[in-house]
Amino acid sequence: MSDRVSRRRFLGTVAATGAGAAAAATAKAAPVRPPGRHGQERVQKVATHCEMCFWRCGVIAEVSADGRVVRLEGNPDHPLTKGRLCARGNAGTSLLYDPDRLKYPMLRTGKRGEGQFKRITWDEALDVLADKLKTIKEQHGPEAVGFFPHGIGARFMGTLLKAYGTPNSVEPSFAQCRGPRDVGYLLTFGRPLGSPEPLDLEEAKLVVLIGSHLGENVFTSQITQFATGLSRGAKLVAVDPRFSTAASKADWWLPIKPGTDIALLLAWMNVLIAEGLYDKEYVDAHAVGFEELAAHVAAFTPEWAEPITALPASQIRETARAMGAAKPAVVVHPGRHVTWYGDDTQRARAMAILTALLGSYGRKGGLFFPTPVPKGDFELPDFPDSDKGRADGAGEKYPLASEEMGVTNGLVDATLSGKPYPIKAWIVYAQNVLESIPQPQQTLKAIESLDFLCVVDVMPVDQVAYADLVLPEATYLERYDAPLIVNSAKAPFVSVRQPVIEPLYESKPGWWIAKELAKRLGLEAFFPWATPEEHLEKTIEPMEINSLELRTKGAVAFAGRPYIEDRTEDDLPLFNTDSGKIELYSQALKDLGADPLPLYTPPEEPPAGYLRLIYGRAPMHSFARTQNNATLHGLMPENEVWLHTTPARELGLKDGDRVRLENADGVTSLPVRVRVTEGIRDDCAYMVHGFGQRSKSLRRARDRGASDTQLMTRVKVDPLMGGTGMRVNFVRPVKEA
Amino acid sequence: MKTSEIPLTPVPLTSELAEAMLQRQIKKHHVAIMLLHWFNAFVWLFELLTGLALITSPLFRVVPEWYVSIVEGAFGSRANMLQFHIALGVAWIVVFLVYGVFGVRTYLSQEVLKKEVALDHDDFRWLVVRTLRILGRSDEPLPPQGIYNAGQKLFAFVIYAMIPVVMLTGVVMAFRLFSPAIVGWAVVLHFAAVGVVVSGLMVHVYMGAVFPEEKPAFFSMITGNVHELFAYSHHFKWWREMKLEEREWDEQHDAAAAPPPEGPPESVGPPR
Amino acid sequence: MARYAMVTDLRKCVACHACTAACNVAWGVPPGHARTHVHVTPLAGTFPNLSSSPYVAQCNHCEHPPCVEPCPSGATFQGEDGVVRVDKGVCIGCGYCVTACPYEARFISPADRKVDKCDFCTPRIARGELPACVTTCTANAKHFGDLEDPTSEVYRMVFAEGARRIESGTIAVGPNVYYLGKPEHLDLVAASFPPRPPRLLAAGKTWRSLVKPLVVAAVAATFLGQSVAFFSQLWNGEKDFED
Repeated sequence: MSDRVSRRRFLGTVAATGAGAAAAATAKAAPVRPPGRHGQERVQKVATHCEMCFWRCGVIAEVSADGRVVRLEGNPDHPLTKGRLCARGNAGTSLLYDPDRLKYPMLRTGKRGEGQFKRITWDEALDVLADKLKTIKEQHGPEAVGFFPHGIGARFMGTLLKAYGTPNSVEPSFAQCRGPRDVGYLLTFGRPLGSPEPLDLEEAKLVVLIGSHLGENVFTSQITQFATGLSRGAKLVAVDPRFSTAASKADWWLPIKPGTDIALLLAWMNVLIAEGLYDKEYVDAHAVGFEELAAHVAAFTPEWAEPITALPASQIRETARAMGAAKPAVVVHPGRHVTWYGDDTQRARAMAILTALLGSYGRKGGLFFPTPVPKGDFELPDFPDSDKGRADGAGEKYPLASEEMGVTNGLVDATLSGKPYPIKAWIVYAQNVLESIPQPQQTLKAIESLDFLCVVDVMPVDQVAYADLVLPEATYLERYDAPLIVNSAKAPFVSVRQPVIEPLYESKPGWWIAKELAKRLGLEAFFPWATPEEHLEKTIEPMEINSLELRTKGAVAFAGRPYIEDRTEDDLPLFNTDSGKIELYSQALKDLGADPLPLYTPPEEPPAGYLRLIYGRAPMHSFARTQNNATLHGLMPENEVWLHTTPARELGLKDGDRVRLENADGVTSLPVRVRVTEGIRDDCAYMVHGFGQRSKSLRRARDRGASDTQLMTRVKVDPLMGGTGMRVNFVRPVKEA
Repeated sequence: MKTSEIPLTPVPLTSELAEAMLQRQIKKHHVAIMLLHWFNAFVWLFELLTGLALITSPLFRVVPEWYVSIVEGAFGSRANMLQFHIALGVAWIVVFLVYGVFGVRTYLSQEVLKKEVALDHDDFRWLVVRTLRILGRSDEPLPPQGIYNAGQKLFAFVIYAMIPVVMLTGVVMAFRLFSPAIVGWAVVLHFAAVGVVVSGLMVHVYMGAVFPEEKPAFFSMITGNVHELFAYSHHFKWWREMKLEEREWDEQHDAAAAPPPEGPPESVGPPR
Repeated sequence: MARYAMVTDLRKCVACHACTAACNVAWGVPPGHARTHVHVTPLAGTFPNLSSSPYVAQCNHCEHPPCVEPCPSGATFQGEDGVVRVDKGVCIGCGYCVTACPYEARFISPADRKVDKCDFCTPRIARGELPACVTTCTANAKHFGDLEDPTSEVYRMVFAEGARRIESGTIAVGPNVYYLGKPEHLDLVAASFPPRPPRLLAAGKTWRSLVKPLVVAAVAATFLGQSVAFFSQLWNGEKDFED
C-alpha cells in the first residue's frame, strides 16, 4: 500500500509542479498529506458495538471506498461509553483481518488433537451436525448434548438447542467468573448484579476495590467513571496482594494475605457497627437481620483480623472509618471474576452486607437500581420440558446456581462420570473451554470421551484441534446479533449490532447457523423471522423508537430510575427478597444448611517452597482471545510472572530471567519471563491470564508466555453455586537453563 | 611519413606544416562519449542545483537560505524537488550502467585506464611545471602528454573514484536501503564525494570553457575532432601514436597507394 | 496562529494503552512500534510503602524542538501552530532526528523506513476533531487544545492548575505536553524518564565538523587557484591557441 502511494506521488511529481506552487504557498500552515495507508476517501461509517470483550462499547466503523474497514472509533453517541474505546476495541480490525482466522467449515480427518481437517461446504457441515443431533436424540435423548456458549451471538444457538430439548447450557461467566457475586447480591438485595455492574463511580466519595484490579481489567465506561470519581476527589481503598495500577492511585493500599478477605470484611463491619458509623436510618428502613449481624461480627475486631490478613489493625480501622465518613456515597466494588477459594458466595454476601451497612445500595455514589427496558418477543412454541433434568447440578447439587447460565464444570464432571446421565456431544460456541475452565486436563479427558464435538469459533484456538466439526463464525464486525439491552446503566439503553462489511471467507453469523440448523431439525417455528432485521424490529417494538435512528446512531437511551427516590410503584418492591427487604441475615442460606452470615475459613497454605498462583488481566488483552491479534500482540506479546524480591533472590532469579512454573501436582508451564518487584506479597506469584497457548494455527500467540489455566489442576468448588475457586494452586519457579 | 620522420619528442614545425596540421582534423572523441559528457554535464548541473537546495539544516547547509527558497519555489515543494533529484539521479545511473555494460572495453579496460587515467613520469612533471608556469615561476616547456594531459587525467581519476560513491550512496538514500544507520552515513559520503568532484569540476569547467588555449578541447567535445596541430602541441604522445597507426595502415595499403605525401620539415620551433 | 498542546492527567490515566492502539491503527504504525508510549515508572520504596505512576509519552512538539536542526533534508519542520511534523515526501530515513529528540519520541517505521512520530493527528485537527488518543482515552485523561486560547481546557490546566512539563535542569526545550498528577508522582516520572541530551549521530558529527569544512575548503581552494590562474592568464595575456 505504501508502495502504491509513493509511486503515485512519484508520478504526480513529474507532472504537477504547477499545482505544487499553490501548495508551497500554504505549506507552512496547511497539514502535510497524512502518512500511512489510510489516505482513502472515507465512504461509510457504521455504528455497532464491540465484542473484543463483553462490555460491548459503542463503536463506529469506517469503511473505505474499496470496502476495507480502516479503523474503529468509539461511538460518541453511545449513552454508556460516549465515544471512548479501549485498546482491544481499537484493535478490532486486526481480528477482522487476522490471516489465521477460521475460514471455512472443516471436518476432522486425523486423531483428536492432531488438528487434521478437510474442508467441507456449509451444507455438508450443517447436515453432519443435524444428523449427529438427530442420532443422539434418538439414542440417548436430547439432554446428552451439552452447549457451551458465551457472548451475545450465542443467543440464537441457545434458542435452537433449547428447542431441540437439552437443558444443559453452561456459560463460564457464571461458575468461572461472576456467579458468586450475582448469587450473593441476589440473596441480599433480591436482584443479581448483572453486567455492567450498576456502580455510581462518578458520584462516589470513596471507592473500595477488594480483589478488583480495575485499571488493568478495563471496561471502558467503568474506567471513565472511576477516573471521573477520582478526579472529583473520591478516595480509594485498594485491597490486593499486588501493587496494582489501582493501588498506585489508592489512598490506602491493603496488601492483604490472599484468601482472608472475608476476615477483613467482617472486621470492617465490626468497626462500622461498634463505632456507629453505619447508615442507621437506611438499615432501619430497608434491612432485616441487623441484630443477628451485629452479634455475629462483635468478635471480629480489627485486632482479630490483623494476624489473619497481615494488615495492621490501625489500617483496618482507618479504612472502615473512611467508609463511614463517606457513606452513603461509597462504592464497594463487587469485583467481577470472583471465583477464588470456594467460599466466594459468602464473601460476596459479606460485600453486599457491607454495602447495605453503608446505605449505598440505591443511593447516589453507591450502587444503583437497574431500570428494565421493555423488550419485544416473538410468539414461540413451548420449549420441551426435560424429565431428566439438568446434568450440571445447577439447582440441585448446586442449589443456588443459575439455571440460565449453568455450571460449566458440572457439565464437564457429568461428561466424565456419565452421571446423572451420559453426555455424548458438546457444541461449543465462542467459549474457549480449555482456557476458561480450570483443570483443563480434565476437560480434555471429557472431550476425548465425547462422541462428537462441534466448535463454532472465529480463531483456531487450542480446542479447535480437538473438534470433530469446526464452523467458522463471522466476527462481530460482520454480523447481526440480537440487540443488546442494558438495564443496569443510569440511562438504560438498547444497542444494535449490525454488519459493517460482508463476512470474509466463508464465515457465517450465528443467527444464520442457528436458522439453517433449525430447518434441518424441523424447528423453524422457533425462528419466525426471515431476516435478523425483522428480529431487531420485533425486539424494539415496545420501546417505541425508530429503528432507523437506532441503526444510524447505534444506541438509544431511555430514562433511568437509578436511586431509591426515583423508583415508582411499578418498581416495588425495592428489594425482591423473601422478606421484601435487604436480608443482612439470610434465611434462605440457613434453610439450605449454609452459614446465614459469612464466616471466615482459612484457605489452605502453600507448601514450603511454593507460592500461591494468582492471576489477572492486562488492559490490552481479553482473556485468551486476543493474544494472536497483531496490534494487541504488538503491545504485549507475552506475560510475565511477578515475584517478590525476597523469594526471587532466594531462588537466584533476576528480573528478565526465564523460569518454568511447576505446580504442586507436578504440572510444568512453558518458560515465562520473571519480573522481580517489591509490588507483590512474598507468598504469591502473579501472571496475566490467557498466554501459553499451544495451537499451531495461532502463529503469533503460539507458545508465547505461560498458561495459568494449565497450572490450575486444583479447584475449590463453591457448594452453593458450583463456582470453581481457582486461587488454590501453588507453584514454584524453576530456572530455565 | 617515414618512421624516421615521426619525431620521438615534439620538435619545432615549419609554418607550412603547422598550417597543414591546423587544417587537418583528428578524431578525438566518438559520439557516444560526447553524448555521455554533455548528459553528465546536464545532470550534474541540475543535480547540484537541486542537491544544494536539499540541504536545509544549518549544520550542513553550504548555500544561503534564499537560494534554498528559490529552488524550492521553482519546484513547488521540497518533496517535488527531492523526487526530481532522485529521478534524474536514477536516469543518470541507468545511462551510466548501459554505457558500463556495453562499453566495458571502451571505458573500463585496464588498457584504457592506463592510457587515460593513470599518471606516468611525464604527467607528474607536467603538473609541477604547469603550476610553476601559472605562478610565473618557470618558462620550462611542458613535458609531452598523452590523449589527456595530467590535469585531465587527475580529474578523470577523481570522476572514476567518486562517481560510484555518489551513485551508490544516492541509491542507498533514495530507496532507504540496508538500515537507517547506513543511510545516515550515505548522506555524508554523498556530500563528500560530490564536494570532491565539484572542486575538480571547477578546474575542468574553467579549463574547458574559459581558458582560451584549450578552446579546441572544448569544441572537440562537440565536433568530436581536434585539429592536428593542437594534438601535436598539447597531446604529443597521442599524436605520435595516431601517426604510427596511420603509417602502419598506409604501409598495409602501400601497393595500390600513391607516393607518400611530404613529411614534416626538419626543424620547427617548439609549439608555444 | 495557535500553540497546540496536550495535557495528560496521570491521576486518571490507568496505562490501558487505548491511546497507543488507537494511534497505531489510525496511522498504520507496525506492531511493535508506536508514536505514543505508555510507561509505568519503576516502583519507588519498599513493600508495602510503594509508589508508582503511569506516564504516557509522545512527541512534545517542543517550543524549541532540537530535532528540526539536524534534519539534513528539511523534512522535519515546525508549523505555525507549534506542531512538529515530518514531510514523508522529503524524509530520507537517515535517523539524525531520532537521536536528537530528548524524549525518544521518534522512530524509523519499518513500514516505509522513514521517520514516524506523533503529529497531533494533523488531518483530524484540520477537520476540527481531536487527536485519536484523546477521544479514545478510557479514563478521559488526555486533553488537547490551543494554549493561546484562554478558554481552552489546556490553558486552564497549564496556567491555573499547575500542569507540569517533564524537563530537567539542562534539557529545557519547552515541551508542549504537560502532565497533571500528584506532586510525588510527577517527581517520580521526571526522575524515571528524564529527557536525555540531544545527540548527533557520528555520521552527522563527521559531516558537520569534518566533511563540510573540508569540502568548503577544497572548493574554495580550487576557486582561489582558478582565480589566480585566471588573473595570471589575463596578466600574461594568454593568447588563443591559433596565435
